[in-house]
Amino acid sequence: MQRKTFKTSETVDFIVVGSGASGGIMARELARAGNSVVVMEQGPRLDAHEFEHDELKYRNLSGITNNPATNPQTFRNTEDQKAAKVSGRNPLTYARVVGGSSSHFNANFWRLHEIDFIERSRLGAIEGADLVDWPITYAELEPYYTKVEWEVGVSGLAGASPFDPWRSKPYPMPPLPVKSSGVLFERGAKKLGLHPFPAPMAINSVLYKDRPPCIQCGLCGGFACEVKAKSSSVWTVIPEAEATRRCEVRAESYVFRIGMNKAGRATGVYYYDRDRKEQFQNARAVVVCANGAETPRLLLNSATGSAPQGLANSSGAVGRYLMFNKGGGAMARFEHPLNEYKGANVTRIMHDFYDSDPKRGFYGGGGFDARSGGPLTWGQSVPKGTPNWGPEFKEYLESYTYWMNCSGHGTSLAVESNRVDIDPDLKDAWGLPAIRVTHKDHPDDTKHAKWQVERAAEIMDAAGAKQIVPGEIGEATGGVHLLGTCRMGNDPATSVIDKYHRTHDVRNLFLCDGSSMVTSGRGQPTQTIEALAFRAADHIAKFARTGDI
Amino acid sequence: MELAVPSRRHFLTAIGNLASAGWIAMNWPKIAAATEHSGHDAAAPPNAIKTLSESEAATVDAIANLIVPGGTTPGARDARVIYFIDNALGSFFAAQLPSFREGLGEFTSSYSSSHGTETSFASAAETQQIAFLKEVEKTPFFLAVRRLTVLGLLALPKYGGNHDNLGWKLIGVEDNHAWEPPFGFYDQDYAGFEPYPGTKPYTA
Repeated sequence: MQRKTFKTSETVDFIVVGSGASGGIMARELARAGNSVVVMEQGPRLDAHEFEHDELKYRNLSGITNNPATNPQTFRNTEDQKAAKVSGRNPLTYARVVGGSSSHFNANFWRLHEIDFIERSRLGAIEGADLVDWPITYAELEPYYTKVEWEVGVSGLAGASPFDPWRSKPYPMPPLPVKSSGVLFERGAKKLGLHPFPAPMAINSVLYKDRPPCIQCGLCGGFACEVKAKSSSVWTVIPEAEATRRCEVRAESYVFRIGMNKAGRATGVYYYDRDRKEQFQNARAVVVCANGAETPRLLLNSATGSAPQGLANSSGAVGRYLMFNKGGGAMARFEHPLNEYKGANVTRIMHDFYDSDPKRGFYGGGGFDARSGGPLTWGQSVPKGTPNWGPEFKEYLESYTYWMNCSGHGTSLAVESNRVDIDPDLKDAWGLPAIRVTHKDHPDDTKHAKWQVERAAEIMDAAGAKQIVPGEIGEATGGVHLLGTCRMGNDPATSVIDKYHRTHDVRNLFLCDGSSMVTSGRGQPTQTIEALAFRAADHIAKFARTGDI
Repeated sequence: MELAVPSRRHFLTAIGNLASAGWIAMNWPKIAAATEHSGHDAAAPPNAIKTLSESEAATVDAIANLIVPGGTTPGARDARVIYFIDNALGSFFAAQLPSFREGLGEFTSSYSSSHGTETSFASAAETQQIAFLKEVEKTPFFLAVRRLTVLGLLALPKYGGNHDNLGWKLIGVEDNHAWEPPFGFYDQDYAGFEPYPGTKPYTA
């Protein structure tokens, strides 16, 4: 199929900045609604056969992620400190490729529960945090969660967890086959009276929408799927957006500023093309879906004379309330080989401890799963007490197939001083001002993560583990779930976008990605980001139809 | 018409063109078998020292082979980890080469100041090597060699180490591109998910 292209001089209906979990959906929905759409993606477009089972490349060499050598960031805990680069890695990591981080995610697709949207009302204020209710409810988002499951493709078993929120339809595909880690996790949790259940995963378990079932190669998180079984935007909604003949995905196009006219309207975007030549694409409206790090950065780098603090930032909330999803777990060794390097990473999860319980003495809730890592990542860390070289270290290496992880994934509280902004000195390889991250965990997040470590160890003990290595909980120094930095809200004084994802300040500028989230959820944000994208696209398409942009 | 077993590229190209569901269904699971890495590792892995000097390489190789010693099962030397380290420091980890060299220089001079210059670390007796490594095991240089050794042992053979998949064999990993259940000991006799009282799991 010849792909549609637009000239930069043409005024397209929409520019979508970013081609990931939300950008792909936004592009498909807007194009299907009859709009012309150009999707701008920083990274290259790779076909399935160009991805490899190369753990070194993707885990250690920034194979498809933002590279600290060319896209550096700085980090500090508090605003009185000078931020510095972190050796060898970036604090905020995302995939820089068509498909964005949906290309390399683990594909854990958890819906938020009803409580996630109304925690402030239920729990009251939390000292040192800015916990607020969402301006929308679970009921408003539910049809879009279902849409994600059927349109993008999610496997799972509806109604299996007694803690699941209500749903209007089952999953379109049965769950993936269970792994040994899932069996052991289920065994241990059930012994403790808990309710583990088959993990909902954005991975095909059967042939679905012309994409094959998972071949159980074992490398999901950090890797792009070579057979298109993982429901990444690049294999799902992006080809469907292009099939409308109204959508162009422009790879290696690095948007660095949103164009504004004197009337306060967005006119398009400035970007560097693959030859690092500056370009400008005209558009009637701009939707930024660039992730919780790059979306606020783009707004801050788009400051104008009338918006000196950054575009759409009259509230001062752009970049603030950065949340990562803190959590804690344990590694466990069993008597027989589990061979966790085989099979999709996660097959069983548990939501018994989803809700925050005041009886614990701190805020926080989460889910647990059984999971595994690739051998190269695993081999680099050694449990306390095990020598890190010599014959005993070698024995430890030889035990690789006997280990699994029981991981807790939890809440991070929104804290105003935790933020993404612009480093005053550092520039990236394009000469653009780089991201500065300021982040310090809320004490409750740390307490909850430590509490999760204890629960994980109990589950592994009940499962019959021969050796348990509890995780160590330190101060967060970065993350891959980049949430909350352009929060949604009804009050323009305290939020960046309204409940339809329109910025309060600029009528034809919309934002939709992890930055829109008001609270962190319990660790697996992508299905929510995609549901928000379907919902936002419905409204934005309606605004376009009625001339309201 | 019976289709021949499709090649990896044939398969991926077909998927890329959104091949018909029927085609995919008909060819499954031949497809899974065909997705193996036939086309990926075309270039021969590095098999010579190009960045480090001969004596530098000998020292690093000796250290690596004490971090993961050989014996009845493969060690770092059997897996040719030194080629990985040399390749890494000459390419994707080149930025680390100056500090690596500096650390290696300190390692060597520290060894000769306590053990004399007649016998190098690389040619010393193993007990002596181990005793010295225990003295320096917290230094950034040693930790760098340790990290590179593990990476070299377990990264794809195309980077120079993990020769003949010996690193993977050591840790029990088989080199297949696709798997089917049962994957391990504990899922082979799994009886199936048992619904909880009060729940009604349902499917499409």
